[in-house]
Amino acid sequence: MTDDKDVLRDVWFGRIPTCFTLYQDEITEREAEPYYLLLPRVSYLTLVTDKVKKHFQKVMRQEDISEIWFEYEGTPLKWHYPIGLLFDLLASSSALPWNITVHFKSFPEKDLLHCPSKDVIEAHFMSCVKEADALKHKSQVINEMQKKDHKQLWMGLQNDRFDQFWAINRKLMEYPAEENGFRYIPFRIYQTTTERPFIQKLFRPVSTDGQLHTLGDLLKEVCPSAVAPEVPNTVLPGEAKIEPTFEPSRIAGGRKASLAVKCWASQGPSRVFIARKKFHWFRTKLKQQVFRAGVQKFQL
Amino acid sequence: MEEDEFFGEKTFQHYCAEFIKHSQKIGDGWEWRASKDCSDGYMCKTHFQVKNGTAMSHQGTSAHVQTFLPVEEAVDPPLDDFEVTETTTAAEVIKYEYHVLYSCSYQVPVLYFRASFLDGRPLALKDIWEGVHECYKMRLLQGPWDTITQQEHPILGQPFFVLHPCKTSEFLIPVLKNSRKINRNVNYITSWLSMVGPAVGLNLPLSYATAASQEEGNVSGQDSSIEQKSLEEH
Repeated sequence: MTDDKDVLRDVWFGRIPTCFTLYQDEITEREAEPYYLLLPRVSYLTLVTDKVKKHFQKVMRQEDISEIWFEYEGTPLKWHYPIGLLFDLLASSSALPWNITVHFKSFPEKDLLHCPSKDVIEAHFMSCVKEADALKHKSQVINEMQKKDHKQLWMGLQNDRFDQFWAINRKLMEYPAEENGFRYIPFRIYQTTTERPFIQKLFRPVSTDGQLHTLGDLLKEVCPSAVAPEVPNTVLPGEAKIEPTFEPSRIAGGRKASLAVKCWASQGPSRVFIARKKFHWFRTKLKQQVFRAGVQKFQL
Repeated sequence: MEEDEFFGEKTFQHYCAEFIKHSQKIGDGWEWRASKDCSDGYMCKTHFQVKNGTAMSHQGTSAHVQTFLPVEEAVDPPLDDFEVTETTTAAEVIKYEYHVLYSCSYQVPVLYFRASFLDGRPLALKDIWEGVHECYKMRLLQGPWDTITQQEHPILGQPFFVLHPCKTSEFLIPVLKNSRKINRNVNYITSWLSMVGPAVGLNLPLSYATAASQEEGNVSGQDSSIEQKSLEEH
């Protein structure tokens, strides 16, 4: 995994410039200034917004404050989704900074999970890691770890410590030499166009005839509507079309992967858009997939 | 795509279908809901319950008596003169929803549930706890299932409470191994739900147990005695 370190660091240190504004109907004793913050893509809203909360609570009375929650253009933000995922899904086509509205009352019970403490975030995070390992290693690696290792993973995330985190996470990204990869690839595909929150299915890294699966294979199998049929030189007015040409490349494992994505966009070739489909890679070693602010980085 | 393992998704759907057939026979209210793209689905049941102790009925003729007397003037009213009358809102009716989904990560069924008042206000976990019998509370804290947490429903995207699935196979496998040893077919959804359901206020009529053995074509004189024993061991 050493050759992946650059990409791993890029993913970890990705940031989204955000402007937090208090909801206009909140009761304040004086005007509340907006609060600016660079949010880590890999973290969770309720984990990194203590300063935001303090800032707005300074101008409010205690009795007007109950559980904090965040909203973007009317949509309550699910704190249990990684920040980068929320941004990519909802706001990546808008200009920066990301404008988030802060609420302290009328918690939307039907939409959001409660987050009464940091322990709840830790429990959620660890449960995601465990589920991923159930898919990768039948839970053997995570269960063999000591409690202090689990704690180190969490502390690494909480305190933005790349090395501390990856000292443990690298064990979760390994597999025996005789295997070709994980048992199943942990992934989730999020789309704004569907009612279902995400697509998650069992998917092996290697096909029955021994071929290594590519990203394209995965998409064709579980989300065929996201893969446009190959019709070159067709541009849909006003939006970008994707023709993925996936070279046979590994989507899991320690080797360099290469991925070429061609895109025709009426705006010009300088930015590569994923039209309306956002992907979030859930603990998968897909080094070629680094989505940041709607721009896809790729290695050729 | 995947070969059916011990608790493969096809097996899950098969046993849910059998379970629902029996539910329909006895009017127990379970039904199958397919996801919009029909690739999967879940089993669900809704039932209503009047919350104990909060509703008081109007009785007697003294409707004009106010119950909320200032403390200094509080006098115990002579009970044989009139009944307590509290101007209640409608008796607290609570809607409980139970969903049974399949976890492909852990390859086991998972129980999701939530409760709300008729006006949509949700119940917090501690309120749901109050409806659970003491003995089940103890079991839940000691049993092979870890905790109840609030999570997002994977198909509906809304907050539900969930019994954590990671230890399910630990207690389910012995039940199924036992039954296979004595060459009996068991609907594992029935077994599983009868074990985890009561801890969260969901009870299964006993006829499910006998139905499970009959549906698979097994005629057994002792009927569900062995299966009940396995359940009790857990």
